[in-house]
Amino acid sequence: MAAEYVKYVDVTKCDGCRACMVACKNWNDLPAEPQDFLGTMQSHANVSADTWNVLTFVEHENSKGGLDYLFRHSSCYHCSDAACEKVCPENAISYTEFGTVVIDQDTCVGCGYCVQNCPFDVISLKEYKDKNGKEYRKAHKCTMCTDRLEEGLQPACVTTCHTGAMEFGGKDAMIEKAEERVKEIKDRYPNAMVYNPEGVGGTHTIYVLAERPSVYGMPENPKVPTSAVLWKDYAQPIGKMMIGATTMAVVGAFISNKLFNKEGNGTHEDGGESDE
Amino acid sequence: MKTTVVSREYKELQSKIIKLQESWKNSVHADGVNPNLDKAAMAAGVPVVALADIHFEIPLFLQWIKELEELLVNQNPALSASFEILNDKLTETVAHQWIEEALSFNQSYFNEFARETGLEEWLPYFLAESAVRPYLQILAEKAQPEIHKAEPRCGCQVCGEPVRIAQLEGEGQKVVYCPRCTVHWRDKRVACSHCGNNDHKTVENMNVEGEAAAQIQVCEKCHGYTKVIDTRQYITKPTVAILDLTTIHLDFIAQERGYTSGGSPKGKN
Repeated sequence: MAAEYVKYVDVTKCDGCRACMVACKNWNDLPAEPQDFLGTMQSHANVSADTWNVLTFVEHENSKGGLDYLFRHSSCYHCSDAACEKVCPENAISYTEFGTVVIDQDTCVGCGYCVQNCPFDVISLKEYKDKNGKEYRKAHKCTMCTDRLEEGLQPACVTTCHTGAMEFGGKDAMIEKAEERVKEIKDRYPNAMVYNPEGVGGTHTIYVLAERPSVYGMPENPKVPTSAVLWKDYAQPIGKMMIGATTMAVVGAFISNKLFNKEGNGTHEDGGESDE
Repeated sequence: MKTTVVSREYKELQSKIIKLQESWKNSVHADGVNPNLDKAAMAAGVPVVALADIHFEIPLFLQWIKELEELLVNQNPALSASFEILNDKLTETVAHQWIEEALSFNQSYFNEFARETGLEEWLPYFLAESAVRPYLQILAEKAQPEIHKAEPRCGCQVCGEPVRIAQLEGEGQKVVYCPRCTVHWRDKRVACSHCGNNDHKTVENMNVEGEAAAQIQVCEKCHGYTKVIDTRQYITKPTVAILDLTTIHLDFIAQERGYTSGGSPKGKN
């Protein structure tokens, strides 16, 4: 068993240079996605199938009435209890030995359940055409550079960060570092906190935030949707036991309805408001 | 992006040997290793080991060979027959000779020893070299404060090993490491670590496809090469010996293109 690693992101050290975005595109060979001006310094509204991390820029009025310009490296959180992994009907999404969550592109059928159920909105579908012109889709997201981890290397975004806002290391060490950092910055940022939400079993990208998560457009208390738990932990095993087709049809219909009805599946019930 | 050609089993075996060497180092009386640093000799390119006063403890050396035997036979039981032959031949006198010849890179002596005793050609030199390294590393630790550079074409200032590998550290400084004795010194980023050539037109970096953190720096003047590894990208920085081993494919690539470890005095191969 390899060590479980965590990407540590201290947003208070980020200067918004976006080198992490470039390094990600470069390493993963992702094409550029030209964007219209969004009215802010932020280049892309959100992550996409070809842009796996986005530097978000948030203008925020702090408690002293001053303006804070908040930068955040945003990408897949690699949840310990990942909703995407639970809902994938093809078992195309799995955990690696490092704790990262990856999509097997050969197995993915592009159903979009993972996109619908991710509490952080970090998975996207990309459309392709095969040689016969038939359209198909595949889900994409940050892999935490698992191919680099296998070689003992840190993720590309971390190695390029020139301010030291991102670090990579053993889970316990990184969590301890984050907690220490919060103590250091509490005077300057009274709302500072470690973001490592328990509702998804903790994540493998943890943040030191200067403000509440909602200020950054992050859910305050993300949870694995109930429907996702039902699907993976109950419906699939039941299906495999081949009980009556009628029962499966009823259970399947209920869950499918929940999986595709994002607004009603509980994902954002405790979520924060997006600033975008 | 798997680029290393070294199998996991072999890497693990080498890691175990390095661990053994670490423990052996602790069993050596450090007072018995004195570098006798002579700046004039160093400036002339004489390796520190040539003038060092080292008290080799032969019973320890023989014990280390036994420990290596245990490890290797455990990995490959077929070697036990070779060790039976070797155990008869490896007297204290032969051990002394082994140390002397290993320190002077006398491969032909070991090849001859293997031929005469009917051993595999690689085995005597491998054992001698592995067991002599703890002394070299203690010597390197003692000499390190005085090692700031290497003389052109003279290799490692401590043990004489040809320069082969450097690491990028801190803000991108190139630090040359000896994988044998682990002594290290800074070098210019754009400079041949063999001949000292720092003409940017004749010192080039070769990029290898799929290689995220390594380049091969080659010199068109002396035809030497140095593997330059950006170890800042590693999650856990490996020991230089392991780094040298896992990047052995870069040595093949460089050598296939006519470059040599150590360069050529006349700039030709």
